[in-house]
Amino acid sequence: MRYIKLPSENFETFFNSLREWGKIYGPVKKGEVYSFQEVQGAGDMALDYNRTMLPPKKFFVRPRDQILHLKNGRWENGVDDERFVLFGLHSCDIHGLKILDKVYLGEPADPYYKARRKNALIIGISCMPDEYCFCKSLGTDFAMDGFDLFLHELPDGWLVRVGSVRGHEIAWENEELFDEVTEEDIQHFKEFEERRASSFQRKLSKEGLADMLDLAYNSPVWKKYADICLACGNCNMVCPTCRCYEVCDKWINAYEAVRERRYDSCFMESHGLVAGGHNFRPTRLDRFRHRYYCKSYFDPSAGFNCVGCGRCDEFCPAGIEHVKVLDEVRGSLQ
Amino acid sequence: MSENPYVSHEARILEVKDLTPREKLFTLRFVDPEVGENFNFKPGQFVIVDVRGFGEFPISLCSSPTRKGYIQLCIRKAGRMTKFVHKMREGEIVGIRGPYGNDFPMEEMEDSNLVLVAGGLGMAPLRSVLWYAIDSGRYEQIWLFYGTKAYEDLLFRDEVVHLLKHGDAVNCKVKLAYEVESPSCVYLEKGFSDRVCRGVVTDLFRGEEFDVENTYALICGPPIMYKFVVRELLNRKLSPGRIYMTLERRMRCGIGKCGHCVVGTSTSLKYVCKDGPVFTYWDALSTRGLI
Repeated sequence: MRYIKLPSENFETFFNSLREWGKIYGPVKKGEVYSFQEVQGAGDMALDYNRTMLPPKKFFVRPRDQILHLKNGRWENGVDDERFVLFGLHSCDIHGLKILDKVYLGEPADPYYKARRKNALIIGISCMPDEYCFCKSLGTDFAMDGFDLFLHELPDGWLVRVGSVRGHEIAWENEELFDEVTEEDIQHFKEFEERRASSFQRKLSKEGLADMLDLAYNSPVWKKYADICLACGNCNMVCPTCRCYEVCDKWINAYEAVRERRYDSCFMESHGLVAGGHNFRPTRLDRFRHRYYCKSYFDPSAGFNCVGCGRCDEFCPAGIEHVKVLDEVRGSLQ
Repeated sequence: MSENPYVSHEARILEVKDLTPREKLFTLRFVDPEVGENFNFKPGQFVIVDVRGFGEFPISLCSSPTRKGYIQLCIRKAGRMTKFVHKMREGEIVGIRGPYGNDFPMEEMEDSNLVLVAGGLGMAPLRSVLWYAIDSGRYEQIWLFYGTKAYEDLLFRDEVVHLLKHGDAVNCKVKLAYEVESPSCVYLEKGFSDRVCRGVVTDLFRGEEFDVENTYALICGPPIMYKFVVRELLNRKLSPGRIYMTLERRMRCGIGKCGHCVVGTSTSLKYVCKDGPVFTYWDALSTRGLI
């Protein structure tokens, strides 16, 4: 890894230089919540944000996405070629994108996702955990790759980790904005990371978690929470790794139609329905349990399907807490 | 265009045949001969049918790769999309993309006995296996146990009844079970009392012995059927690794992206479209919710 320093006074110039890449999207405060929006100046962003409501997946797997266009009886498709900058991604969201990569870039690759991923410049930023974060338990609190540049806060600027060739190029082109990293900066970086590591309030005990949950398939805890759950699907929408989508064709006039895909939720009754009316997950309990199993699935090569961002907890209208459910299910085994 | 895995290839409907009041057999050929040439499928695989401007649905291939130049799909009128397709006529165009999913291990099963167990519409994917096995002649004894609700629901009736009468010549023994009595059934039952009976598909196992060392079972039918058929096969000491079944789930993409066909729990999560639709009973034992 290459490390360089971006002094505070150069931050704005650096930000403006990114315009050459494309439109810049960053965290913006809207009322009580944050969201990734297009920003014109560095001052528009709230870089000390905790989490946005929708994760950055919305730039790659869009809530509504027209994938094909039917004209003269034939499908036409156009993949996006517009480059853009995602500024200020937290480590958990970078890990979330890596999980999506595994699915969408796996053979055969999704051409829409692939093009958008190629066009996106990812700039990460360090953060302090709040009461919902449990990324440390899942090992997603620090990103080792998956970004072009990663900014770590220092008292007088940013320690920048260069994570890709593209990141190198950007640093190279803006050479005059960056300094060498000093011993003092390293000390500050170390202190920040240590303070951050000790600030986590929530912890998921993941030892043998996948098997424990599987063994607790008939635990009454699932039912207890499924009864509280409103089955609204909010947790699916805000999850950085949930990616189920539904497809539908729509006529826009008598001669043209579009094929659109949009977010789907495993909490919807239609999710497990097949032709003829048979449903493989007919009850809310089945669907509730399925989401937890999906998120807690442990892939030996990629880890869990959850990155511990805390969105599902913060935006759950029923106040269901992910870690608490898993702990209780595990506890019910004894 | 062709690089986009979501874009289907045009296929022309060569023939539409009524199989039952609910099911029709569509014979298709790709408009572009090159596409047709490159479309290599194996028994057990499925395709996504694209009715442009209306939507897509997955359907298993019921023809055999041994019979080239066309593909066949047995489509039941079960919803909005299939109702639309049922109105289509010869000469019309649909989109086809695929083939998708894994397949029955036909090569591994060579020189063995095959027990095909079909329930209702489950006959469609197994017909592909059946014709493959008969055409290639590389299999020992083939059993086809086929259970339907009534004689009128019997899919590929001519072929099945023909094999019932003359199947022994190609080492194929067909047995039929029906639930609702009708004159045709009674007639068949009279002629083939040891092969046709009133009851469920598991009743057909009665009196049959398999060489467990050299037999594979292949199952397809409604969800409720699997448990009972598997029990019957295990009772006969067939190894779980030799019991293959093909499953149905809602599939939108067919290539493991849309997430609708995900089954299993935290220790084993599988996409039916990509990891299946053919699974062994070992898979079912390690993946909850598979059957």
